[in-house]
Amino acid sequence: MDIAAERIERLHELARAAAANRNDDRARYYVRLARRVAERNRLTLPREFRRFTCDRCDAYLRPGVNARVRLQNGHVVITCDCGDHARYPYED
Amino acid sequence: MALTPETLPRHELNGLPVRVVESDDASRVGLEGRVVIETTNTLSIEVRDNGESQVLMVPKSGSTFEFAITDEAAGDEKSSGTASKLADTQPDPSEESDESDGAGGDAAGCARASGHAGEGVAYVTVDGSRLLSRPARRTETNGDSPWQ
Repeated sequence: MDIAAERIERLHELARAAAANRNDDRARYYVRLARRVAERNRLTLPREFRRFTCDRCDAYLRPGVNARVRLQNGHVVITCDCGDHARYPYED
Repeated sequence: MALTPETLPRHELNGLPVRVVESDDASRVGLEGRVVIETTNTLSIEVRDNGESQVLMVPKSGSTFEFAITDEAAGDEKSSGTASKLADTQPDPSEESDESDGAGGDAAGCARASGHAGEGVAYVTVDGSRLLSRPARRTETNGDSPWQ
């Protein structure tokens, strides 16, 4: 694994810790930096990172705190506090 | 490519424990804390004393920083499994100091590691001018792009 992938992993941890401390702006800064590192190094962000961040406002999502998670037919809908929806499929 | 003394200037600085060893501004010397925000020209350091935390901005140019590297530095928050991890990392400092001898040579002596043995912590001293770059661009190596 190269340095860029490791940086993204570290930034994910930092964003999670900052969000857990209700430090939303700092979590957002880490998420944005991780996205920037990934795009400049042509890397795919890890799936866990994609599922726990908001595409629109870059917030680190904590289900029940700043995100609503609802199950629909065959897919999950995650709604961020900013109003953005993210959907992904699930299998029973 | 783990976080080692050689890769530190290209690696993530946020979350690392840091100390300001030298600075043009004498009042900043000796600041100790964690890096929380990095910009092109500054590092913001969160200093904790007596439970109060304070974020101070230190310019990169004109300062020398000493970063403390441990294998679990990424976890950053007070992980409970520290003791066992530290036991695992004990052999590391010797290896790291060996590698750092090479790094001191090729990196123009800017980054040198003084592998203080002990709890698996390596202290890396880096001149701030070496870190002057946009945070996301430090990782890149020039000329490596397949598009150019």
